[in-house]
Amino acid sequence: MLTYLLRRLGLAAITIFAITLVTFVILHLPPVDFVTAYAAQAAASGSAISPAEADAMRLAYGLNQPLWVQYWKWISMVAVGDFGRSFEYGRPVTEVIGDRLWLTILLSIGAIIVTWGLALPIGIYSAVRQYSVGDYIFTFLGFIGLAIPGFLLALIVMYVGLRVFNMNVGGLFSSEYQLAPWTWAKLWDLMKHLPVPMLILALPGIAQLVRIMRANLLDELRRPYVVTARARGLAERRVILRYPVRAAMNPFASTIGYLLPYTVSGSVIISVVLSLPTVGPLLLHSLIAQDMLLGSTIILLLGVLTVFGTLLSDLLLMWIDPRIRLGQLR
Amino acid sequence: MLSRRVMLSALAASPAAMAFLRSEVARAADLAASGLVGELQGPTIITDPAKWPKTFAEAPMLAEQVKAGKLPPVAQRIPAEPLVWQPLNEIGTYGGTWRRAFTGPGDGENGNRIQSSDKPLHWSADGSKIVPCVAKGYTLSEDGKTYTLFLRKGMKWSDGAPFTADDFIFWFEDIYGNPDIVPTPTPEMRPKGKPGRMVKVDETTVRWDFDVPYYLFEEIMAGDTAMGGGQAVRQAAKISFGAYAPGHYLKQFLPKYSSLEAVNARAKQEGFENWVQMLHFKKDWELNTEVPVLGPWRTVRPINTAIWLLERNPYYYAVDTAGNQLPYFDKVQFTLAENLEIINLRAMAGEYDEQERHIDLGKLPVLLDNQDKGNYKVHLDLGFAGSDFMFHVNQSFNGDAEIRKWLTNADFRRALALGIDRDQLNETFWLGVGTPGSPAPGETMPQSPGPAWRTKWSTYDPATANKMLDGIGLAKKDSDGFRVRTDNGQRLRIEVIAIAAFLPYPKLSEMVADQWRKIGIQADVKEMERGLGFAKQTNNEHQLFVWNNGGTELLYLFPTWAVPVIPGAAFAPDYATWYSSGGAQGTKPDDPNILKIFDLYTEASSLKADGRNHNAQEIWKILVDQQYGIGTVGQSPAGLGVRLVSNKLGNIAARVCNAQHCRTPGNSHPETWYFKA
Repeated sequence: MLTYLLRRLGLAAITIFAITLVTFVILHLPPVDFVTAYAAQAAASGSAISPAEADAMRLAYGLNQPLWVQYWKWISMVAVGDFGRSFEYGRPVTEVIGDRLWLTILLSIGAIIVTWGLALPIGIYSAVRQYSVGDYIFTFLGFIGLAIPGFLLALIVMYVGLRVFNMNVGGLFSSEYQLAPWTWAKLWDLMKHLPVPMLILALPGIAQLVRIMRANLLDELRRPYVVTARARGLAERRVILRYPVRAAMNPFASTIGYLLPYTVSGSVIISVVLSLPTVGPLLLHSLIAQDMLLGSTIILLLGVLTVFGTLLSDLLLMWIDPRIRLGQLR
Repeated sequence: MLSRRVMLSALAASPAAMAFLRSEVARAADLAASGLVGELQGPTIITDPAKWPKTFAEAPMLAEQVKAGKLPPVAQRIPAEPLVWQPLNEIGTYGGTWRRAFTGPGDGENGNRIQSSDKPLHWSADGSKIVPCVAKGYTLSEDGKTYTLFLRKGMKWSDGAPFTADDFIFWFEDIYGNPDIVPTPTPEMRPKGKPGRMVKVDETTVRWDFDVPYYLFEEIMAGDTAMGGGQAVRQAAKISFGAYAPGHYLKQFLPKYSSLEAVNARAKQEGFENWVQMLHFKKDWELNTEVPVLGPWRTVRPINTAIWLLERNPYYYAVDTAGNQLPYFDKVQFTLAENLEIINLRAMAGEYDEQERHIDLGKLPVLLDNQDKGNYKVHLDLGFAGSDFMFHVNQSFNGDAEIRKWLTNADFRRALALGIDRDQLNETFWLGVGTPGSPAPGETMPQSPGPAWRTKWSTYDPATANKMLDGIGLAKKDSDGFRVRTDNGQRLRIEVIAIAAFLPYPKLSEMVADQWRKIGIQADVKEMERGLGFAKQTNNEHQLFVWNNGGTELLYLFPTWAVPVIPGAAFAPDYATWYSSGGAQGTKPDDPNILKIFDLYTEASSLKADGRNHNAQEIWKILVDQQYGIGTVGQSPAGLGVRLVSNKLGNIAARVCNAQHCRTPGNSHPETWYFKA
């Protein structure tokens, strides 16, 4: 067990190093640098950067140095925990990400809780009461949830919210609270804004997990051990929750690997559409703007979290499911 | 609108021109009746000192600080020679926060433009005349070699330090003259390649000396240029132009005034790599809340957060005719939106008090629908540039000899131009508010070659286009009816690079590609991400590049989208390099018409206004006749021209000058707007 863990940790370190290298190279593949992207943005809003000005910017950002020099500068800074300054924001990258990180985590964890809190019971209900009216209704809703892309749903909800309910559109705070210091009123304002994006973020996940839970549980319910348990007169509740549900939970555990990076990035597209102040839009924007240090750092962070998330979910699976544990050790 | 109609009636009565005339008159009548397009107007500068106010008043928030002893009284804060504005309608009242939207730290222009009264000189409300701004005036010597700028006596920076000629000399010697900060000098300071000099005459007078006649410099000092753009835009984003800088504040960050070790140590301590990085931060008004400014506002919460907040500059140099120090608004608050849809939705909900930036013309019907609910009014500010969507045909393309042969063939380009149904484009994408025709600037502009050049090669005539294409050797077609290459018999495919900006350019290009099927031309529209598209274009890899020609209505101030004189111009990147390097790099064009354009352009900087405008008209005639750029629909509100204004605001112009040089909405002077009680 310990050697297994050590081997996995060693592989994780190598993977992360490879991620930094690949990230940096891929980000530099397009023939576009930050200054070109900046000039393009200026042009697209009716202004212009002259060649003399572009020269000055390239000098200031060190973009006239060869790629390997830029990588070495970055990686040796990262090694001592300094992620540099974002080109576009002119602030330390850690601050730029930090600004948005806790709201992102709050929103993502909220979305995960909503997803699991709804998907688990509905999935169990649908499997146990297969082909009941309730099952049909949930199946119907589930397919709609799977079929409608989250960003479209977000747009529709926003438009209806604006036209029918006169709601604020997008963001997590009303404009009067944006600058206000933290008070109960501001917290309440945030609470009022949270449910809609949380639900929209959760919906595709709910639909998917309901279907998986239902299918897995149906498989389990037909197993002989369930029949035996029933024959022995175990209470129905205990029969279902104690063994088949536990076995059907495997997919939940295996998705934790993806959930960890997700809590940090949120869903990029939905966050952009809803204008949520989370890390997702920041990542997208840094890539478009070729803000190298910011983009590289976010991708590095996501890479590290994916690697550890996968490790975590492997360990968790071993813990929940003895079959995997025994298979692994053999 | 009437003046345009009168001018058009003088048009030669060719059938195409008559059809154009009819559609133009109908369009003008529609627009006038819609009430969306008003007359150009704005506040007026009172230059006669006899009419200036004798006593001064200030905003309540500043009066409190004066009472508390934190600020000197208002009369001591404004210059002895202030800029006196007669507001558009009435004297305003103080207070309130102007709410706006911005899209992040890359959207600095959003604020730079409303801060644009920190320019040395500006433009009148209709965009036609140079008017005083930071400087009260200028003179240009008879020989065109000496330019003198006169500053205001007693004018101060936003921290109360005096603003004098020394701030210009500081910029020239210590910022512009330092290659660590400015690696490449601006061509604007080097007429005919000969560097100019800046000299302090006295406390309020600065002189520029040039070795050759340089009459154009008066326009440059008023334009949205490296020299005349003002501190806000020209000293942000690691750029260091702008002609003046707050020397008293910035000297502490320069090695010259202490030592290299001292400034580098300070930089390290404040978390910068070296002193240059620190200086770039310190002089940037969007990021640094401490840097002194001259404009109506100063940043109190930087642009790199979710809200960019500006507050009034207590030393602002302008007053209204009643002696109230401007601006009227206390604050300007930009709220971050992650995408443009959100901005448009919030605008409809009335969450912005005034917003013209990032508003989408395609949403006009919904915007109008929500006017009452959102308590705002929509204004359309028509531009002056000839084309808000055009094809820039790369004359120096060398990726494919056959394609190059056709791109550089005038009749091929003319045939493409005749194959475009501009009315269909106008109705579909401009809702009919644009003007179809060539890329030449609007007829009200001094550099317009005249109304006949609006229609030249720029009407819909597929029959003639087909005949011309047959005539130049492209008569052979494949089984689908497309013309084929002369070298290998394969279908001739022209690649069009389109980036989504201002209008959905890729969709517009698809419509034109569809129209070109009727003349047997296959155009492949490649939609590209902005940065990538521009990189390909500056690298000379494009065949046809889709963009507008905004700014070219004043050709010498913003030539990029009309003539290839600045490196990277879509017209012919390689020739542009040749021209701007004085023949040292790039390739010399073999097209005599392009050489003629270069001669006219070079000569213009040493000509007085009339001569310059004449040269520009001659250049436009060549451009339209040769169709190096194929125009479609222009003079529209597509860029920065759909303006939503809350009904609560006063002194709002019916139409704002929507042009590059006007710094829209800058020359409408937001410092004179106010909240009605």
